[in-house]
Formats: sequence, structure tokens, C-alpha cells
Amino acid sequence: MTAVAELFHPDLNPTLRRLGERPRGAGRAGPSEEDRQVRESVWATLAELDGLRGPGLLDTAELMGPGLYQSPFLDTVFAAELLAADGRFGAELDRIAAGELTLAVAMREHGTDEPDQPAALTVARDRVTGVRRFVAFAAEVDHLLVVGGQEPVLALVPVRQRGVRTRRQDDLGRGDLYEVVLTGARARLLTSGGHYATALANARLRLAAHLAGIARGAVELSAAHLKDRRAFGAPLARQQVLAHRLAALAARTTAVLTFARTAARAAGTGADVRLPAAQALFLAADLAREAAAEAVHLHGARGLTEECDASVFHRRAAVTALTLGTPAGLRRLAATLLANAHTV
Amino acid sequence: MSASLLDHDPVLTPAQVEFRRQVRAFFAEDRVRELAEEIAGYPVGTEAALLPVYRWLGERGWLAPNWPVEYGGAGLGAVEAAIVTEEMTLAGIPDDVHVLSIDIVGLFLLLKGTEQQKRAHLPALAAGERIATVLFTEPEAGSDLAALRTRAVRDGDGWRLSGSKVYNMKSQYGDVALCAARTSDSPVGMHGITLFLLPLRSPGVHVEPVPSYANDRFNLVVIDGVRLTEADVIGRVDDGWALMNEMLQLERTGIDFHAKARRLLDLVLRRAAETGRLADPAYAIPLAELDAKLRAGHALAWQMVRDLGEHNPDPVASAMSKWYVTELFQPILTAAADIDGMDALLTAWDGDAPALGQLEAGYRFGPSHRLASGTSEVMLMLIATNGLGLL
Ligand SMILES: Cc1cc2nc3c(=O)[nH]c(=O)nc-3n(C[C@H](O)[C@H](O)[C@H](O)COP(=O)(O)OP(=O)(O)OC[C@H]3O[C@@H](n4cnc5c(N)ncnc54)[C@H](O)[C@@H]3O)c2cc1C
Repeated sequence: MTAVAELFHPDLNPTLRRLGERPRGAGRAGPSEEDRQVRESVWATLAELDGLRGPGLLDTAELMGPGLYQSPFLDTVFAAELLAADGRFGAELDRIAAGELTLAVAMREHGTDEPDQPAALTVARDRVTGVRRFVAFAAEVDHLLVVGGQEPVLALVPVRQRGVRTRRQDDLGRGDLYEVVLTGARARLLTSGGHYATALANARLRLAAHLAGIARGAVELSAAHLKDRRAFGAPLARQQVLAHRLAALAARTTAVLTFARTAARAAGTGADVRLPAAQALFLAADLAREAAAEAVHLHGARGLTEECDASVFHRRAAVTALTLGTPAGLRRLAATLLANAHTV
Repeated sequence: MSASLLDHDPVLTPAQVEFRRQVRAFFAEDRVRELAEEIAGYPVGTEAALLPVYRWLGERGWLAPNWPVEYGGAGLGAVEAAIVTEEMTLAGIPDDVHVLSIDIVGLFLLLKGTEQQKRAHLPALAAGERIATVLFTEPEAGSDLAALRTRAVRDGDGWRLSGSKVYNMKSQYGDVALCAARTSDSPVGMHGITLFLLPLRSPGVHVEPVPSYANDRFNLVVIDGVRLTEADVIGRVDDGWALMNEMLQLERTGIDFHAKARRLLDLVLRRAAETGRLADPAYAIPLAELDAKLRAGHALAWQMVRDLGEHNPDPVASAMSKWYVTELFQPILTAAADIDGMDALLTAWDGDAPALGQLEAGYRFGPSHRLASGTSEVMLMLIATNGLGLL
């Protein structure tokens, strides 16, 4: 087991799944102090293990899946790639790797916006104005990387300043999504807007791996329950129809994860992976949501209770699945890229 | 959309078409529409119980239109009952209390109860003034209901009832419950089960919440030596299993599940039109497919209603109807996420949510339909065995 795998050890998953969880309709309430501390210590350990940079990011994203670990990880490494492409942010990249600097990527104004077409942003010299919604951990991170417009402007915006206001959104995941209002907020503009599509594709592969990890967690939780739950004189695990359904989900999970890993390796050699990244992500999004719904179903009515982790999988998978584009939007993107690749 | 679909039901009699028109006009009244909006915005922890709309329906005999007038119904048939169920759900009025009180417990009493039991309960249920709930499931007996352990032992000329019932709904508001208990031991679990009418407000009945992640909670009902009499037995002693199977099949047409799925899909279609995505084939084609499947489910559910109306129910086809339509919830809800993107995830309590947060609430409630009123696997088992002679 790698050191990062040790950190996300299955024994810790039940705790991780509940971190930062707010009650329904909690409005602006932040996470509990205890949750905040646990989150910080997991983050610090991840940094100590050098888990915030390098070639292992995709596998780390997968390992975080079964614990439904909520953190700025996916956004921070997405933003770091754009900072690196700019070339002037060596100090910030070192601080990111050391776990001292976290970022959120902010590209949507409306829930219906797709990340391939970031919402408009008004830029006046080093000031930005606009609204961004569904920004993960906006109130906790140090900087926002605000993406704006078709040939995107990338603006690095410190969160703690007068021109930035955040409001927690009350969502199905009950976690940390925020609306951010930028009013003439001070920003540093990056020169790496041309790298956005590539960085987005790489981020999609990591997200696909994370969703595959969520699917794996949902399958493992369900398998454990079926072994435990007795009906008709035997464990439910003996019901072939149920066992086969979990086996099929496990096979799909393995295929999707391998697809994402293979594409990430190709990206490392300079290949254009926008198409496989979009494809891996919609496959993973569908898979994670199906596996989570199946987990609820296989737990019976107990799966619908607050107490049962299957319900957490079901809620969180639905949110995570959409963070870098809806499956319909990704299918349409993949179709366009396929058409471009097959002109006669 | 659904209105035009339902208007052209070719097999309704002119009187039934007129009945539907009147029922729909009732549900379109301001007071009903305002109530539906209020319910969608209920604070956390508030859920629908004895809604005034049930009383308004009850005043017309429409809450249980298929019951005789003397018990508070309208003396009509299964078709009219299905019309009320369908219109109620399409109007956004929760039907859980209605299903439990009228379609399950009320129907049990109507068909199998003594005259005394009917007089004691049916008029109040049909008036929307009393809630009856169902206590079948136990912690260790769900799909395998014959494994139930709640026990009624002879106590003089009556019974003493003890056990735990879980995952039941609305018992916190209920007056009376239909409770399955073991009255005789037998090597075959299905033998020796009896159905009782349990007064829920008895001193020995403890109702505790089992929080669900949907809006409505489950309950754990602990029954601690409650004394019942012969008059509380429904049907014959030890004959509960046959009774439960017979009655649950009568309730199963799929019409209620279809209406819930249709209401959700109509919300998604409306949002697709509002956002312009209905004009975009990438979004519209999957919706067209879901719409097709739901229309097939609608046709099948109505066939079940008509069969029931002609006293000729088909248990295999009813299982198909329930299974077919409840499998559509998950794809409808993921389609909602494609149409509204992350907005579909906002709760009613956020303030920015489209469609009053009903898509988010629908997502949380989505998996319950494949479990409630007979799980998908139970339906498939019925089809495979009784329908195809397999297994
Ligand atoms: C919304 C909702 C409302 C409910 N309301 C009530 C109520 O008011 N009163 C009441 O008494 N109960 C109620 N129930 C409980 C319901 O009847 C049970 O959930 C149902 O009988 C299944 O039992 P279980 O939950 O214990 O699941 P289990 O029996 O533990 O089953 C777990 C999973 O395994 C599957 N499974 C089980 N056995 C087999 C098999 N042999 N072959 C293949 N698959 C199998 C099931 O389909 C399910 O997916 C409600 C449930 C829901 C979801």
C-alpha cells in the first residue's frame, strides 16, 4: 500500500464521508470546528507525503473516492497546472505543494454553464467584476482562479479582500459550494489562457478517476451489506441477481479507471486528450451515480436513512458528477471532437 | 403536456371524462395551488399529514371515490379513484397519506373488515380526518416479510401484541395502523400471521423517528404488550399472509408511481423549454425517449386500472406496470441534471433553486420508488415465476 493509500485507508472512510456535512437547509453555517481540524490535518498529511503534485495525482483522486473526501484537492491541482503554464508562479507552486496555499476554480455564473464556455467576466486593469456560483470551498481557500470568457481570461483573486463576497449554497451534497460576488476585486492576470482547454481535459481525467473511486466505494459498501444482511434463510450475497449487478458495476469501474489512467499517460507525452477526457468523465459520472443509487437500493429502506452511508454516496455522487460539465454537455463535446477527427 | 395526453384517453366514458374535468378544475383552484407551493417550501422537518385538501376532497366523496356513499365515498369505481390519484400527484399534492389510509388500510377494511370496523373507521378516513398507517416491515423482515417476529399472544378473550416495526411512514400522525403479527408458530413462516388494527395512540405504542434523507421521515414503532380484542382482528386469525398478498396486488396498478414520474418529467420538460435546451437535439432526444417510455408506462398502468374496474386484475401485468415505471425515476432525475446543470442540485431552502427545489427533493426521493410497495426484485420475481414459469 502506498503512503497516500494508507492515508485514505478504508478504516478512515466512514469518518471522512461525514466531514463537513451540514444539516439540511443549514444556510450559511460553516463546518464544525472539529471537522475543520480533521480536514486540515488530512491536508497537511497529504502535503507531507508529497501528494499535491507529481504523476500520482490521478491515483490520489481515485483513492479519495470511497471516503467521499471533500477538499480543495481537485481544484487546487487544476489551478496549479494553469499557474505552472504561466511560468511566473514558482513560489506559489511551492506553497501549493507544501499544503500552504489552496485554490478554487471559478468558471460558472449559472448552474447551466459548461466549463468549456466559461461565463463572462469584466476585467479592468488588475480588477475583476462578476458573479461565480458553485465554487468549491470558496470561503476557505486562499485564492480563486476565476476563468472568464471564450478565450478565457484567468484571474488569480485572493479571497480575503473587500471586493470578494461569498455565500454558501444549500445543495444536495450539503457541503461547500459557494456563490462568489466579485466587485472590482484585485487580481493577477495569468498569461496561460491558451492552456485552459488542456488543463481542463487533465482535470476531467482526475475527476473521472475520483468518480470511479466513488463507484468503487459504493460497490464495496453494498457488497459488505449483502454479506451481512440475511433474508430467506441466507445472506443476500447469495442472491445471484444482486451479486451479478455488483460484479457488472465493478467491471465498469475498472474499465473507466483504466481508460482515465491510460489517457492521462498519453497526456503526459503531449497527446491531445480532450476527447478521451470528455468521454471518460461522462462514463464515470453515469457510473458513479448508478453505483450510488444501487447502493441505496441494495440497502433497502435502510439505504434511505441519514444514518446509512449509501445515502451520502447517492447525494454526493450527484454533485461531484457535474463539477466539470454535465454528461449531456460532455457527450455533445465528444461528438464535436469526433466529427472534427473524422472529416472526409 | 400531460393534460393533453390524459384528455385523449379513448376508453373513458363521457361521465368519466366529465369527472376528470371536474377533478382537474378542483386541483387548479387557487387554494390548492397555494397549498402545493407551500408544501414544496416546507421548512426542514415539516411534512404533509392531514392536509386541508384531503378534507376538501372528502367533502365531495372524492378522497375515496370508489367507496360506497355510506362510508364516505362517491359510489364510483376504480377508474374514478385512479383519476383522483393521478390528478392529485400531477398537481403537486403528496399522496402518501392518501395511499396509506385509503388505498391500503381503507381498502383492507372495506373488503375484509367487519361491519363494525367499517363503521368505526371508513367515514373518518374518507373524510380526510383520520390517518391509518401500515406496520408490516421489521428490522429483520423486509422483502422476507414471512420472517416477521412481532407477536400477538392470547390474553383471555383478546390478544397482547409486542414487537418492533420500522420504515413505516406517517405513523407519528396516525390514529390507527394495520399491523401484521405472528399468532402461531409454524415451520413455514407464511403460516400463522394475523392482521390487526392497532390504535396508535395507545399507551404501549412508542413512535420514534428514523430520519431519512428524503423530506419525510421513517418511524420505528415499538409495541410493548398492547392489549387488543377479537374486534381488532382483520379477516381470520392466522390467515394474514394470503390476505396481504391479495390486497397488495389490488392496490398495485402503477398509476400513482406513474403520476409521480410524469410530474417530474413534466418539470424537466418545462425547464428544458425555459432554458432553450428542448430545441437542442443533444438534450431533447434523451427527453423524447423518456417521454416515450413514460407514455408506455401510462398506457400499461391505465390498463391495470381498467382491469381492476372490471374485477379482473392481472397480478403479473400489475407487477410489470409497477416495475416498468419505477425504473424510470433514475434516468428522469439524471436528465434533470443535464438540463439544469448544477442548479438542479439546489434545495428548496437555498432560494435560487429552479422549480421550487423539487428536482433536488425528487433526487433524494428517487430510489424509494423501486423499494416501496414491493421492490423491483419482488416484481421481477412475480413476472419470472407466475408469468414465465421460470425459477
Ligand atoms: C418510501 C418507503 C416507504 C415505506 N413505507 C412503509 C410503510 O409505511 N410500512 C411498512 O411496513 N413498510 C414500509 N416500507 C418498507 C418496505 O416495505 C421495505 O423497504 C421493503 O419490503 C424491502 O425491505 P427492506 O427495506 O428490509 O430491504 P431488504 O429486504 O433487506 O432488501 C435489500 C435489497 O435486496 C433485495 N432483495 C431482497 N431479497 C431478495 C431476493 N430474494 N432476490 C433478489 N433481491 C432481493 C431487495 O429488493 C432490496 O433491494 C417503506 C419503504 C420505503 C422505501
